[in-house]
Amino acid sequence: MLLKRLTEAMGPSGFEDEIRGVLRAEVEGHVDRVYTDVLGTLICEKGIDRPGPRVMLDAHMDEVGLMIVHAEDNGLLRFRPLGGVDPRVLVSKPVRIGPEKRFGVIGAKPIHLQKPEERRKPLPLESLYIDIGARDKDDALAAVRLGDVAVFATRYEEIGEGCAKAKSFDDRAGCAVLTEVLRRDYELPLYGVFTVQEEIGLRGAIAAAYRLQPDIAIAIEGTVCFDVVDAPGHGQGTVLGRGPAFTLQDGRTLADRRFLEFMIHVAEKHGIPYQFRRVKGGSNDFGAIHRSRAGVTGGSISIPVRYIHAPAQVMSLEDYRNTVRLVQAVLTELQEGGFRG
Amino acid sequence: MKERILEWAGYVAPSGSEGGLQEALLGAVREAADEVRVDVLGNGIATKRGEGPHVVLVAHADEPGVMAIHVDERGFLRLISIGDVPAHELVGRQVRFTNGVTGIIGVEGKVKREDIGFEHLYADIGAESEEEARSRVPLGTAGVVWEPLSEIGTHRLAGRALDNRAGCAVAAEAFLQLAALGRRVSVVFSAQQAVGARGAGTAAFQLNPDLAIVIDAAPAGDMPEAPRMALSLGKGPCVKIMDGTAVVPLDVKDHLVESARRLGLAIQYEVWPRGLSDAGAVQLSQGGVKVGGVSYPARRLGGLAQVIDLRDVAGAVRLVVEAARSW
Amino acid sequence: MTHRETLRELMELHGGPGFEEAVAARVKDAFARYTDDIRTDAMGNVIARVPGDGPAPRPRILLSAHMDEIALVVTEIADGGFLRVWQAGGFDPRTLVGQEVVVHGRQPLLGVVGSKPPHLTTPEERKQAAPLEDLFIDLAMPEERVRALVTVGDRVTLRREAMDLLNGRIAGKALDDRASIAVILECLEVLRGLRHTADVLAVASVQEEVGVRGATTAGYALEPDIAIAVDVTFADMPGQAPDESFKMGKGPAIAFGPNIHPKVFRGLRDAAERHRVPYQLELTQGPTGTDARAFQIARAGIASGLVGVAIRYMHCSVETAAYDDIAECGRLLAHYIAGVTAEEVARLTCY
Repeated sequence: MLLKRLTEAMGPSGFEDEIRGVLRAEVEGHVDRVYTDVLGTLICEKGIDRPGPRVMLDAHMDEVGLMIVHAEDNGLLRFRPLGGVDPRVLVSKPVRIGPEKRFGVIGAKPIHLQKPEERRKPLPLESLYIDIGARDKDDALAAVRLGDVAVFATRYEEIGEGCAKAKSFDDRAGCAVLTEVLRRDYELPLYGVFTVQEEIGLRGAIAAAYRLQPDIAIAIEGTVCFDVVDAPGHGQGTVLGRGPAFTLQDGRTLADRRFLEFMIHVAEKHGIPYQFRRVKGGSNDFGAIHRSRAGVTGGSISIPVRYIHAPAQVMSLEDYRNTVRLVQAVLTELQEGGFRG
Repeated sequence: MKERILEWAGYVAPSGSEGGLQEALLGAVREAADEVRVDVLGNGIATKRGEGPHVVLVAHADEPGVMAIHVDERGFLRLISIGDVPAHELVGRQVRFTNGVTGIIGVEGKVKREDIGFEHLYADIGAESEEEARSRVPLGTAGVVWEPLSEIGTHRLAGRALDNRAGCAVAAEAFLQLAALGRRVSVVFSAQQAVGARGAGTAAFQLNPDLAIVIDAAPAGDMPEAPRMALSLGKGPCVKIMDGTAVVPLDVKDHLVESARRLGLAIQYEVWPRGLSDAGAVQLSQGGVKVGGVSYPARRLGGLAQVIDLRDVAGAVRLVVEAARSW
Repeated sequence: MTHRETLRELMELHGGPGFEEAVAARVKDAFARYTDDIRTDAMGNVIARVPGDGPAPRPRILLSAHMDEIALVVTEIADGGFLRVWQAGGFDPRTLVGQEVVVHGRQPLLGVVGSKPPHLTTPEERKQAAPLEDLFIDLAMPEERVRALVTVGDRVTLRREAMDLLNGRIAGKALDDRASIAVILECLEVLRGLRHTADVLAVASVQEEVGVRGATTAGYALEPDIAIAVDVTFADMPGQAPDESFKMGKGPAIAFGPNIHPKVFRGLRDAAERHRVPYQLELTQGPTGTDARAFQIARAGIASGLVGVAIRYMHCSVETAAYDDIAECGRLLAHYIAGVTAEEVARLTCY
C-alpha cells in the first residue's frame, strides 16, 4: 500500500534518507533517470527530450520532526523541533528516534502533581523530554546520538468512511500522488521532483527550480483543513471530501491567474470536484519556484488534510484519488497545448 | 506629470492584479521603447537600446488590497489582505474590486476595535444570495479600499495609491527623457512589491542592470507627533541611504548626491528603519547589482490615503535623469 | 606580524554593513601574504584565490568570514546637535548606554551615547530600558558645527580598543566576525605547508549582519563545490540552554543540521579527529544565521559547512574569545581542505 509505505517512512527536514530510499524504489522503472542534487532532492526525469513545455511537478518529502540535542544526567533527552511543531500536540505521544527507529515517549508531570494554574497553561517545549528508558546519561547516549532525529510513531490506517489517518500526509500524500502520476506516460518533458527541507523554508525547491528551469511548475501539497465543529466557513481553509484545492493567495504566492483558470477549466472538463484554499497563512514549494530566475508560471494543487503537523492527520481517500486524476488531466491538457502562457 | 499620477492612481491594481494598470503604464513609454513586455509575475518592462551602461529604473505598480476568499449563505463576502492592510481601518469603508463591483466593509458585532482582524470583516456587495455574490465576485477576486483622489493646497495631492503611482510617473518620465538622450535604459513597473518585492527580483534577474534606481515613496515625519523621520514634504526628493531591505552602496549614494549638487537641487536623506522597497531584491539578484534609491516623501504612508508634494516628484525626475545620464 | 596582531587591528577598524571599505583594505593586505589573486566584487566582498596543486578542474572550496560589524546610522540631527540613530544589525540598546562611538561624518567624530544620571531618574524610569529610538549621541559641540560635519545617513560604529585578557583571551568589539577572518588567515598559513588539490576561495563577506546579503551574491557568482561559513557561536554563560553553550578554549564548534551537507560535516569531524584538533558539536535545526544559510541555496545548491569559535557577549563592545580556538579552527580547516579530492566532490550529490 503506497500511502502506508510513504507515510510510515521517516524523513524530517534535512534528514530525508529513509523516505528518499522508499520513493526511489517506488519510481524506478517508471522514469528514465533518477538522481539527487546536492541538497538531497530526488529528481526524476521522464521524456525530457520530448517537445512541449517543460513541466516540473513538485512534492516535498520532508516532514516536521524533532532533533535530540542534549541528554540529562537522569537519561531523559532534550530536543528541539525541525519545522513548525506545536508543543501542545507533543505531550503523551510516542516517537521513533534515529536510524534504528528506537521508541521513546514524551511524558508530562502527572496531573495529580500539577497546581491548578499549571494545568491551564500549555507545556512549553523546554519542559518536555523524551524518555527512551535509559537509566542515566551514559546509558542514553549509548543508544541515541546527539543530533539524531525523531518523528511521530503513527501507523497508517483507514478510518471512518473513506478516510485514512497517518503522520505526515503533509506531504507524503503529495508524494504518493506524484509517484502514481509518474507511473503513466505523457507526451511532454516531465520532471518529478521530491524536494527536501520544505518545512524549514522551501529550501530544496529553491535549488531544484533554479537547476531545472521549468516552463510550468505545479506543487502538490497536503494542506490545512479545519472543517470541524465550531469553525466558521471562512475559517476552515478547506473541506474534507470536496476535492483538491487551488490556491488563490497564501503566505508566499499570489495565484498566477491564467494558470489558475486553466486548471479550473481542466477540472470542470474532466468532471473532477475542486475547491479553493480559503486561508492566507501557510505556503508551499510553489512560493519558491515561481520566483526562480526570471519567474515561473504554474500553481499548486492541494489535498485537504485535517490536523496537519500533528501526530495523527486525517485525509479523504476520495480527495486523494481525485487529486491523482486532476494532476493527470492537467498534464494531458498541457500536452494537447491547452495552456497558452 | 500631475495628470498622469491622477489617471494612474485611479486604477485598481492590488498585488497580483496589475494587468489593467500595466497596459496604461506601458502605453506611456511604448513609443520610445524598442521592446515592451509583461512577464510571468506581472512586471511591465520597457527597454530602449542606446549608449552607456544599462540603467534600470524600478517603480512598483501595485498597491496593497484585499481578496474575496469566501461567500456565506447570505451572500456576504469574507476577505483576506493582500500585503499589509490595517484591518481595523477598513470598517465602514468602500471596497472596489478589479471588476468594478463595489461594496461596504462591515465588522462582526461583539468584536472590540483593537481586536479587529480580517476574520471579523465582511463585505456587503448588495447580493441577495450566495449564488449572486459568487457570480459577481468570484473567489480570488482582488480589490482595494477605495479612497478618492484630490488636489489639496497648491502643490499637493491626497488619496489612494499615490504610493507608488507617483513613482511610476517619475520612472516613465525619466525613461522617456533618457531614451531621448540616446541612453541604454529600461523601466520596470514592478509587480507584487507589497507582498515582498517578488516582481522586482525576477525582473532584475532578466535585465541584469549595471545600475538600478528604485523609485518609491518614503514616510514623511513632518506631521504632529509623527513617528521620528527626518523627511518633510516639499523639501525635495530623497536619496536612499538605507531601508529594511538594502544599504545603498556608498559610490551610488555619492553619485546621486553629486548629481543633485550639479543640478542645484535640494535633497533629503532617507534612512527608513524596517522600510520595505524593491531595492533589496534588485541588489541581491545574481552576482549583485549596484542599486540606488530616489524617493519622494509621503505622509500617512501605509495608510489608506497618502499626501505627496508634486515639487518633490518633479525633483525626483530631474535627479534620476541626471544620475542615470552621468553614471 | 602575527595573525593575532592582525586580528587586533581588524577589531579596531570600523566597518558596518555596506561600508566595509576600511576593513576590506586591511583584509586584502593580510590575504596578500598568500596570493596575488585578490579582488572585490560589486557588493564589496573581498575574494582571494589560493590555487591548489595539480591539473584543472580542481575542487573549489569557499571559506567565508564576514567583515561587517553591527553599526548605527544617523536618522536625525535633533535640537542642540544631538544625534538620533537606527541600527544596521541587532543591538541590545541596554549595552549602548554610556558607550563611546565614532560618528563617520565629514571626518571621524568621537561621541558618547548619553544617559540620564540616576539623580534625575524616577524609580519607574530606572526599571525600564530605553529603546534605541530614545537614545542619543552627544558630540559635545554646538549644533551648527554638528550640522556642518554630520549628515542624516552617516554611519556610527562602536569604539573600543582590543584588550588582552588572561589565558590568551582577547576582548573588544567586532570579534563577530573578524575572529573568523583570523581563522581563515591561520588556515592559509597552515595550508602553505600542506599539499592541497582544491582551489581555496577565501572570502571576507559584507552585510552579513543585515541578512547574509554579501554571501547571497558571492555564492551565486563564485559557485564553489563546497562553501564553508566561518562564524562565531555562543560561549557558555549561566542560564543558557546546554546545546547553545560552548566552552571557550575547547576548540572550534562544528555545526550539524539541515543547513549543513552531511558529507562536509563528516569531513570536518574526521579531519579534527585525525589531526587531534579539539572540537565541539553544534546542533542546528534549520537555516543558520550565518553565510551558510545563503550558500546552501545559491544557484542549484552548494554543499555547505559551518565552523567557528565560541565567544562571550556577542554584539557587545566587549566580545571575548580564546585565541587558541581561533588557531585550532584554522588548523582544522587547513587539514580538511588538504583532504578534499575531486572524487569526493563528485559524490556530494549522491544520497
